Amino acid sequence: MSAQATAVRTGTAVREAVATARQSWTDSATAAGVAVGLAVIAPFVLGGLIANDSLASGAYLALAATGLGLCVGLAGVPSLAQGAFVGTGAFVAAHVLRDTQLPAELCALIGAIAAAGLGTAAGFAVRSLDSVRVAVGTWLLTWLVALALGALPWLSGGAQGLVVPTRRLFGLNPTPLVHYELGVVLTGLCALGLVALRRGPFGLDLAAASQHRGAAAALGVPMERLRVAAFAASAFVGGLAGGLAVQLDIVADPTAYGPLLSFELLVAVLVGGAAAAFGPSVGVIVLGLISLAARALGALAGVSASRFQPMLEALLLLAVLTTGGYAFVPAAIRAARRFRPAPPRASRRTAAAAPPSRRETLRAHDLAKHFGAVSAVDGVSLELQPRTVTALVGPNGSGKTTVLRLLSGALPPDDGAIYLGRQELTSLTTAERVRAGLVRTLQSRPFFGELSVFEHALVGTNRTRRYGGTVRTLVSTPLFRAENRIAEAHAFAALETVGLAREADRPASELTGSGRERLMIAAALATNPAVLLVDEPSAGAAPEDLELLKAIFTRLKTDGLAILLVEHNLAFVRAVADQVLALELGRVASREPNPRL
Amino acid sequence: MRATATVLVALSLVAAGCGHSSSASKQQTILVVVDAPFSQSPYIGNTIGNGVRLAAEQLNAQTLSAGGANYRLRVLRLDNALSPAKAVADTRRALREHATAIVTDGTGVDATWRLANSKHIPICIAYQGGGGLVNPQTRPNVFRIAPTDHGLAFRLAEYLVPKRLKIALLADDSDYGQEGKAALADAFRTLPKSVAARITLPSSASDLAPQVLQARRSGATALLVWAQAPALAKTIVAARSAGWSVPIYTTPAGEDPFVRQQLADHPSWVDGLTFASGRMTAELGPAPWATFEAAYETAFGTTNVGVKSHGRRVIAPPDYAMYPYDFVNLLAAAVQQAKGTNPAKVLAALNQVSTHGANGDERGFNERNHEGVVDDDVYFARFSHMVFRPVRDDPLSSTLPQINQVR
Repeated sequence: MSAQATAVRTGTAVREAVATARQSWTDSATAAGVAVGLAVIAPFVLGGLIANDSLASGAYLALAATGLGLCVGLAGVPSLAQGAFVGTGAFVAAHVLRDTQLPAELCALIGAIAAAGLGTAAGFAVRSLDSVRVAVGTWLLTWLVALALGALPWLSGGAQGLVVPTRRLFGLNPTPLVHYELGVVLTGLCALGLVALRRGPFGLDLAAASQHRGAAAALGVPMERLRVAAFAASAFVGGLAGGLAVQLDIVADPTAYGPLLSFELLVAVLVGGAAAAFGPSVGVIVLGLISLAARALGALAGVSASRFQPMLEALLLLAVLTTGGYAFVPAAIRAARRFRPAPPRASRRTAAAAPPSRRETLRAHDLAKHFGAVSAVDGVSLELQPRTVTALVGPNGSGKTTVLRLLSGALPPDDGAIYLGRQELTSLTTAERVRAGLVRTLQSRPFFGELSVFEHALVGTNRTRRYGGTVRTLVSTPLFRAENRIAEAHAFAALETVGLAREADRPASELTGSGRERLMIAAALATNPAVLLVDEPSAGAAPEDLELLKAIFTRLKTDGLAILLVEHNLAFVRAVADQVLALELGRVASREPNPRL
Repeated sequence: MRATATVLVALSLVAAGCGHSSSASKQQTILVVVDAPFSQSPYIGNTIGNGVRLAAEQLNAQTLSAGGANYRLRVLRLDNALSPAKAVADTRRALREHATAIVTDGTGVDATWRLANSKHIPICIAYQGGGGLVNPQTRPNVFRIAPTDHGLAFRLAEYLVPKRLKIALLADDSDYGQEGKAALADAFRTLPKSVAARITLPSSASDLAPQVLQARRSGATALLVWAQAPALAKTIVAARSAGWSVPIYTTPAGEDPFVRQQLADHPSWVDGLTFASGRMTAELGPAPWATFEAAYETAFGTTNVGVKSHGRRVIAPPDYAMYPYDFVNLLAAAVQQAKGTNPAKVLAALNQVSTHGANGDERGFNERNHEGVVDDDVYFARFSHMVFRPVRDDPLSSTLPQINQVR
């Protein structure tokens, strides 16, 4: 009976998964499927025009580049360490192959795990750095690995490299053709994984973090943890490519995993399209064509092709960067959409159910913050109760925004304590406070430039998810899919609250300033908060926008939220606030109910 | 119209088929693949490539017949860029193109020999002398025509120890230096009193004065440097600029034009530099070498060192080109003995044939020995006024004539 129930459940889950896949199937997916099919039959069609070992090397290069796409495309981090990760996978796999009798696939997997370890360490080291420093830091790592291989012949095998024994691969004779087909299949799977992750909570959070760190942090996106994860995943795939490539080459070559490989992989990703699943693979094909061009130029000039190849690659990269990142795959997709626009997506967001509201009181006692000799906040205490809007007013420099930052966790207080209900928040991070029910919007109307309106709200709902982890996303488990539906409904409800439900599928960049303000309020609401901290929502708003905002705050109050409003617009304060706290030189100068009331 | 096209296509196919069969019956190809570091070490790559090409052109100028067919040699140059992985890819290509033999500097042979051996394709190493690369029992398809590290190290020990010198052994941190260090350790194992110090030279350092000073403080009365040309030049500069006139001995790196170019402003610092290398002339006298050198210069011109001696231009003799040249001649002999290009038969025949090499020495292999240059072929030469001549205090060198190096 139990087995029968399991079978029924499994059948239902599979049917659901197929239905979901069919619903989300697009022209791009068809094109990608055709491309993979063509790639699989390429060795038989090309008939020796390109040698199978060259094709197999290209396939593993595409796999490593697709792995790098995780870092560059999803996290927006320009990693120049992928060559080092590929090399780590290659040499660890080579040593395991030489020293043990383990199966070839397991040796490659061990290499990938070792690379993921190095990737985790690298990600941890650069987790909070900006793009330029990440590029420099990872470039140094690549050099470090290359120098270590050169300096340690016992590790690298010296000039002759580390010769590896040949072992059967998945029960097959490991010919270059077998390696090629394996490389294509793994690259296809990795690209599929990339698509799944990009659409899931992991990808949305990473995209948000890469497009506006401050706004993402305010919504509780754990940026540093995600970056480390992206590095680790990217390194794992790179290490797997290295661990398999070394078996194709039958030698781990210390000269093959230097900075040039890292550079080429990054060029492939940027040229093909970092955000497109098959962009890195296309980039690798473009690099292959460049290699042919370099050979032709070399033959014309009577010098080695290797002198032209890096130069041509750098020129191509420069062209892509100067044309605003006009990479091949995104350009092709844009061109295709001119002829065949994407059909409108069937909306599954009609059931606009708001999440159950949380009603908690926020209490802050004697908060203090000093910047050197300046006392920005000095002994501020406040209480934010459910169904109440508290306005924090005061002249510029009186400490209003600092109070918000202390409450949200963006700044640690020098003194004082913060409680939400019975839970002390004082030592919690911003992300932990958001999960606890305290969220903040920023002053300057930041938004995530490449996300749609709906995706902004989804970033907020990610804070409430239990089954949105990377593995569940990749496998798309029934729990993940069920939670997805709930998250989409909650995100849609948040957009309805702020009057943006009709704009759900528009790019956020098309909204007005006031629309963006409301959008970030919606994203904050999607985290299902008990307390909402809002910084100058009325700044620059037109009269009709002010009316909308008033209606929103009134509705939120009715829904039971505790709201702290930092405002300069006293008319707006009078219209929405229940009590007014006036700050002066970091101290509470007055605490009164709204005179209107 | 359609019928005409069909007839034309059919006729052209027939013509192509006839042409192929006719040429196949008359002339077949012996493909020799040169896998060398043309991009990373052009001097070495081109020397090996030119040696092979010269031999192929000379053989093609005659008629190479075997088993009733005529053969023409074709040379395919592939750049391994000093990368073992590229060497593997090049070997795979050589096998796809049905190469008869592969001539290499030695890069990646640890990985490539097995691939080549699966098709019975011989590999000849024409530059690297590392121990373990050649072993007729375990690597039956690997041959070498070049001085071995072992031969150089033992000849150096044999030459220096009777001079009662206290020798500082300096090896750079490149693979070349480290392999040499191991060979020297082996050669001086039973002669510890002759060794004053063992020092590693950092290749990337701009100044080797600290290492030279360390050697001087160790009480060394001679330096034996096993390093690539740049590190060797820096060692000489460091010693001489400190006023230390210690005798300096080295490997074939000493005759690399780079060393003399680096010391062109101080020709006297090069004077006395002594190096070990494979001899260019044999018991037959200098005539064979002169013939080879003239043919080489006619085909490829002279290799200018970039310095002058007594106002005349100094050239580098193509001594390392004679090794691949000799191998191609051996290969042709093996094809003739095998009566064709059947790989297994050619490989077996390589163990049986011999030829007179470019320097007049007899070159050949057998089933127990795949080394084409014996230890006694290693000689010593000393620089004076930017050209070198064989030393007079070594019995195997003193009888050798000086090769003209000025034009």
